[in-house]
Amino acid sequence: MTEVEEMLKFIGVDSDERLFSDIPERFRKKSMNIPLHLSEYEILREAEAIRRMNDTAGYHNFLGCGTYDRIVPASVDSIISRTEFLTSYTPYQAEISQGVLQSLFEYQSVLSDLMGMDSTNSSMYDGYSSLGEAVRMAYRINGKKKVLLPDHIYRSKLSVIMNYIAGLDLKIEFYNFDEKTGFIDLNDLQKRVDSDTCAIVVENPNSLGILDPNVTKVQDVKGSALLIAYVDPISLGIITPPGTYGADIAVAEGQQLGLHQNFGGPFLGIFSFRKEYARRSPGRLIGRSVDHNGNVAYVMTLQTREQHIRREKATSNICTNQALMAIAALTYISLLGSEGMHRVASITMRRSAEIRKALSGVPGIDSSPFSGIPFSDVAVRYSGSREKMQSSLKKNRIWGGIPASDIINHNDGVTRDIYFFSATEKTSDEDIEALRRALEAI
Amino acid sequence: MFRQAAYDEPLIRDMRSGTTYRVPGEHTETPEIPDSLVRKEINIPNVSEYDVVRHFTRLSEMNYSVDTGIYPLGSCTMKFNPKYADVMASWSEFRDVHPLRPQETVQGNLRIMYELQEYLKAISDMDAVSLQPLAGADGEFTGISIIRKYFMDQGTDSERREVIVPDSAHGTNPASAAMAGYDVVEIPSTPSGTVDLDALKSVTGRNTAAFMITNPNTLGIFDGGIAEIARIIHEAGALLYYDGANFNAILGITSPGLMGFDVVHFNLHKTFATPHGGGGPGAAPVGVKKFLEKYLPTPIVEKNGDFYSFKDVGDKSIGKIGPYYGSFMVLLRAWAYIRYHGRDGLEAISRRAVLNTNYLERRISGSFRPSNNSIKKHEVVVSASGTGKTANDVAKYLLDMGMHPPTIYFPLIVKEAMMIEVTETVSKKDLDAYADAMLASLKEDAKTSASRPVNTKVTRIDEVRAARDLELTWNDIHS
Repeated sequence: MTEVEEMLKFIGVDSDERLFSDIPERFRKKSMNIPLHLSEYEILREAEAIRRMNDTAGYHNFLGCGTYDRIVPASVDSIISRTEFLTSYTPYQAEISQGVLQSLFEYQSVLSDLMGMDSTNSSMYDGYSSLGEAVRMAYRINGKKKVLLPDHIYRSKLSVIMNYIAGLDLKIEFYNFDEKTGFIDLNDLQKRVDSDTCAIVVENPNSLGILDPNVTKVQDVKGSALLIAYVDPISLGIITPPGTYGADIAVAEGQQLGLHQNFGGPFLGIFSFRKEYARRSPGRLIGRSVDHNGNVAYVMTLQTREQHIRREKATSNICTNQALMAIAALTYISLLGSEGMHRVASITMRRSAEIRKALSGVPGIDSSPFSGIPFSDVAVRYSGSREKMQSSLKKNRIWGGIPASDIINHNDGVTRDIYFFSATEKTSDEDIEALRRALEAI
Repeated sequence: MFRQAAYDEPLIRDMRSGTTYRVPGEHTETPEIPDSLVRKEINIPNVSEYDVVRHFTRLSEMNYSVDTGIYPLGSCTMKFNPKYADVMASWSEFRDVHPLRPQETVQGNLRIMYELQEYLKAISDMDAVSLQPLAGADGEFTGISIIRKYFMDQGTDSERREVIVPDSAHGTNPASAAMAGYDVVEIPSTPSGTVDLDALKSVTGRNTAAFMITNPNTLGIFDGGIAEIARIIHEAGALLYYDGANFNAILGITSPGLMGFDVVHFNLHKTFATPHGGGGPGAAPVGVKKFLEKYLPTPIVEKNGDFYSFKDVGDKSIGKIGPYYGSFMVLLRAWAYIRYHGRDGLEAISRRAVLNTNYLERRISGSFRPSNNSIKKHEVVVSASGTGKTANDVAKYLLDMGMHPPTIYFPLIVKEAMMIEVTETVSKKDLDAYADAMLASLKEDAKTSASRPVNTKVTRIDEVRAARDLELTWNDIHS
C-alpha cells in the first residue's frame, strides 16, 4: 500500500474525491487552460529560452530615478540565499526564530543610525508605500487636514500616496521649487503652512535629482506640522541625515542597499520615526528582552497595533513585509562599513559631476539647468526633438535619458525639456564618453 | 533528540575586525556639498567580510525554516519552495534589469508577466489580473480600492460606506477595509463556522460596498452557502471579495470565478510556493471580473502578435499601488511553479493537501476537539480546551521536538484554538510524528509544560518587558 492509500483507509474513504463531496457540482471546475506538467530539466530549459529574449548585449546604463544599478556584494546574495532565512515565516514563535529576530533588530539599529532617527521598523514594501504610510501616521498623530507635497513629485509616487490617503479626511496641496536653483521655494512653502497643516513632505535629493540645502530650513517654517523626509539612503554616506533637520518621520527606498534592480521588485521600504511615536507607527517592530533564564532574547513587540490583534483599528493592514530584503540591506551596510558607505556616495557624486562636465560642451545641451548639485540623477535640458535624442541613444547602446514629463507630476518651466542621466559607482569613463558622443551625434 | 544551535552571538556593532570589503575606484575627496548638508558623523559597524558572513550564518542556524521541517501555520501555506525557482531567480538577465528599460529589451520579463496573468485567470476563472500588489494585505487594499472606484463611478460611493467581514476573517480583511476608509461590519459565524445567512441578510443593503470572505474559510470548511451568499450580496448591488489565502485547497477543483466572486487576490508566497523570507517578500496579484477591469492598477501586460508590452489601464484605473509592476522576482518564481506543475499537478497538490489535513485531524481528534465535524479542506482548527493543557503549552512542547507549532489562539471564535495547515509537502511519516508529539504533550506534568521550550536557542521570552522597556535599537539598550 502507498502512503496515500494508507491514509485514505485510515480516514475511512475509498478515494480522495470523497473529500471534495462538499463542493456542489455546479461549482466544480471543468477545465483549466494551463499546459501539463514539466520536469525540472524542461522548466529550466524553457526559462533559459525566455531569459534570452531579454536584450543582454553590452550597453551603457544611465537609468535611475529611484532604482539604481549598484554593486551587489557576493556575500549579500549568499546570506539571503541561506534557506533558514529564505524559507522561514514571520517569527511568531520567537524561541525558534532568534536568527531572523536578531537580524531584524540589527537592521532596525543600523538603519536608525544611518537615517539619524530614533527608531526604524523591520521593513515596509518599498519607498512609495512607506511615504503613503508616513502621511497616514502623521494624520493619526495630529488629525490635521492638509498635507503639503512638492509640486514636482514623481507621478507614480503621488498616485500611491493618493491611494493610501483616499479614506482619510486629508487634502493635498503642492508647494513650488525655485526655477533657478531647483530648491524648495521656502517663501511659497511658508505661505501654505497654516494651523491645519498635518505634515510637510520634503525630498532630498528631490525629484530633479538635486541635493537641496533648504530641507534643513523647513523646520523653521513648519509651525505645528510634522516633517516627513524622503531620502536616498546611499546619499546618507556623506549627506546629513533627516534626524539632523528635524524630521519626525523619515522614509526611503532601500533597493540600493544590496538589492538587484529586480525589474522593480522586490524592493525595501525603510521607515524611521521619533521613538515617542512608536505606538502610532505601522509595521512590525522587533524588541529586545530576556528569556526566563535571563538571557538576551528578541521578540516582535507592540503587536497590539497590528491587524492580527487590533483588526479594523490597527495602525496599518500590513502583515507580510520585506524581511529578507531588510537582511540584505543590513548585510550590505555591514560589509561596506562607514568608509565604504562614504565612498559609494562620494564616487556617485563625482560621477554625476563628470557627466555634467562632459556634456557641458555638447551643442543644444544645458547640463546645468539648475544651480543646485545633483546626487545620482543628472538633469539636463535639451529643447530639440525627443525622438532624435532617443534614437541616437539607442543606436549607441545607451539606456537613459528619462524625460521629466514621463515621470514628474506637474510639468512647467522647471521641468520643461529636462531629461535624466543617472550615475552610480559603476558608471565608467567609457560610459560617460559614449554618452557624450551619442548626444553630440543627435 | 532535537537541540537547536545556540551560539552566544554578539550584536554586529560589537564586532570590530575592520572592513575588508573593497569598493572599487581610487580614493576620492569628498565632493563639493553645501555646508549645511555635510554629514558630520556616521556610526556604522566596521566588520570584516569573513566576520559578517560568519555572523549571519550563525544567526541563520538559529532559525527554523521550511527546509528544516514541517511548518504548519494556519492559513500561511508554508510549503516546500522549489529549488529550480531559486536557480532562475539568480539569473542576471532577469534580475539585473532596470524597470524603465525600453520594452523591446525586456521581452523575456514581460512574457513571464503576461503568462502569469493568463495562468492566474485560468486558475481563478476571473477575466483580468493585475500583478502589482506586494502582499496579501496589499492585494486586499487594492481590491477594496477598485471596489470604491467602481461605486464612485456608479455615483453611490457616499452611500455605500460599509464592508462586511465574518468574525472568523483574517485580521487583514477588516484592517484593509478600514484603511480604505470603510466602516467595518462584523457578522457572527454559525456554530459550524460557516457564514450565518440570516446575519448577513440583516446587515446587507444599500450601504454595503462589499463582503470579504475566504472559501474554504479559516476553519478549513467549504461554505456550501456560497451561492446564496453571492445572491444576497449581488441583489443588494454590493460586490463579493475573495481572500485567496486559502487557495491551496481548490486548485483545479473549483474557483472564485465559478462561485460568483467579483474580486480576488492570490497569495503567491502561499499557494504558489515563493519563499516567505522570514516575513516577506510576498506578492498578491488581484483578479477581477470584466466589468471591473478598467479600474485595475496600471499598467498590465498585453501581447500583440509576438510582442509583449505594457498597457495603460486608462483614466478609470485606481493608478499605482506600488512604484512599478509588482515584485517581479516573486512573480517569476510563481510562474515557474505553475508551469512546472501544470494543470494536472496543480490539482494533485490540492488533493494531497486536503488528504493530509483530514488525516492529521483524524489522528488527533480523539484528544483535540475539531471546531466542527465537516470534511476539512486546506486546514483544520482544533481546540486544546478540555485537554488539561493550553494551546500555548502544546506549541512549546512541539518547539522542543524540533517541529514548528501551528497558529495558536486564532481564529478568535474558537477557544484555545490551534489552526493547522500542513500542506501537501509533508509525508505520512512526518504527519504521524507531528500527531504523536501533539498527543504526547498532553501527558506531561504541569511543571514540565511550563518550563518549555528548553531545546531552542532561548526559553520563553518576557514579552511584557519588551513592550514596557521598548528597546527597538541597540541605542535603546538599558544596561
